Parts: sequence; C-alpha cells; structure tokens
Amino acid sequence: MDGRRLPDERGQAALNLLRHRVVLYLIGLTLGGIFLYAAYDKILHPRDFAKIVYHYRLIGPSQTIDPALANTLAVTLPWVEALTGLLLVTGLWRREAALVAALMLVMFLVAVGWAMAHGIDLANCGCFSVKAGEEGSGRALGWKLLAGDTAMLAAAVWLVVARPAPAPETAP
Amino acid sequence: MLKRVLVIVGAGAILGFAWNQWSGRGFELRANALVLPGDEEIKPAEAKKRLDKGALFLDVRPGLNYEIGHIPGALSYPLEKFDEMFPAMEPRLRDSMDIVVYCAGFGCDASHMAARKLKEKSIPAVVLQEGWPAWTDAGYPTKEGKQP
Repeated sequence: MDGRRLPDERGQAALNLLRHRVVLYLIGLTLGGIFLYAAYDKILHPRDFAKIVYHYRLIGPSQTIDPALANTLAVTLPWVEALTGLLLVTGLWRREAALVAALMLVMFLVAVGWAMAHGIDLANCGCFSVKAGEEGSGRALGWKLLAGDTAMLAAAVWLVVARPAPAPETAP
Repeated sequence: MLKRVLVIVGAGAILGFAWNQWSGRGFELRANALVLPGDEEIKPAEAKKRLDKGALFLDVRPGLNYEIGHIPGALSYPLEKFDEMFPAMEPRLRDSMDIVVYCAGFGCDASHMAARKLKEKSIPAVVLQEGWPAWTDAGYPTKEGKQP
C-alpha cells in the first residue's frame, strides 16, 4: 500500500502498546506509588483520619450509628491501600491488587459525590494528608478531585482487564 | 482471583487492627475519635434539660452558621475568635455554673477544643454530643438571627 495504516490498525497498535508488559508495569508502578503515598499519613495519624471519615457523614458517628464503624474503616483502609500499593509497585498479584484499588476508588468516588451532592464542605478530602488548610496539603472536594480519581479508576480497571500483549515474533 | 482479593483486604485489615493496637498511635475503636480523656459529652435530651434550667450555651461555629440557626439563648462564640473574645466573655462564663458547648457535629471538633480551652482557664464546660444536627434532629427549638 502507501505505507499508511488503516484507522483500525492504528487503534490495534495503540491497544497493543497499552498492553505492552512495560507499559502495564509502569501504570502499576504509578498507581501503586500513589496508593503508598496516600496511605502513609493516614497510617501515622489514624485518629485524625477517623475525624475526616466522620466529616463525610456516611457511616457515622451519629445518634444512631456507633463510632466503631467509621473508626474501623479509618484504621483498616490505609493498610489495605498500602498493601495494594506495594503489590502494584512490585507487580505481584497485579490484577487482584488493581481490582482492590478500583473498588476503593469507586467507594471514594461515591463518598465524594455524596458529600458534594449534600453540600458538605470539606477542606480536606483525606486523600493524601490528614491535616487541612495551613496545617497540611489537604485537597478540597470538587470536580477536579473527581476527575483525578476517575482517571486512576480507569488505570486500575485497565490493569484488571488488560492481558499483556504477546512478545513480537523475531525472524529466524 | 476473588480469593486473592479477599487475602489483600483481609491482610490489610489485620495489619490495620494490629497497628492500632500496638503501635502507640492507635485509639479506642468504640469511642468517638474527637473525644479525649477528660472531655465530657452530654446527649441532646440532657442538654435540653440543662437549657430549661438556665445553662449557658456556647455556639462555637462560625458566625454565619449561628445566624442561620442556633439554640435559643446560646451565645455566638466562634472558636477562631476564642482568645480575641475571651476578655469580654469571661465575666459571663465565670458566673455560669453550667456551660454547654456545641458545634456543627459530624466530625466537628471545635466544641471539644473550646471546652478544653475553657477548662484550661478553670471554667468547666461540657460538649453537646453530635452538636447542632443532633439538637435539630431531636426536634428541639431553634432560633434564627444574630440575637441569642
């Protein structure tokens, strides 16, 4: 032909590139690094993270919901994040770790969306730092936050569904 | 795949509980994380009784929240203006035998911080558990505007 690829060929080439082992590893490395970073401050300050969980008003505490529910989430979630991040960085159980990451991101998107829909003004989403405003680098709720998390969700889902492309055949 | 997912979540949870138990950074899971040893909280029904008996209520939310709605008789004393307003508030606070502090509930720790600051000045104060939302949910009276 004239050397130009057909559109579907280009699409297939792009897909193969995204399925390349090195690309999948780099996506896992980036996502895992973000999860490890996100877990660090929360692990060091579980009580402060619990206060942020309270602010979402989803799982208490309230007059009817015991604080144990929100507290349990506050002490366990950061460690699930850390373990997930570690597995993604090392590439061990990558698909399973990516699935856990995707589930956590869906949970987080629902919580942020719910808080925004109910007009809850959070100076710190609790994503990376447990200190807000001048004390730390807390990120406020907003569309930017939702967009960032959606992008991470897309990356995590891709790691779950993508099968590494077969290595190209070499000429004898 | 599901088995491994459960292992990741389970191992993370176990590590979390263990860290909370033995790291020295943990806290009591059955207690409200906002409450520190020495803090005293009361439920809305008890607060209502104290209001009827003439307790002094302090609303430590920002002033705008107070104007939108507050507990009748409560004084607006935003936490961020605590030190600035204290000289003017002090005589009234020291005259009160019973002080109840409240804020916006749902993780708002302004009331606990204000009560601790008052205790540092030897003025005892209790905190309304879950604050303003608990009061309104209980159907107790509220008032709008800048006046107590």
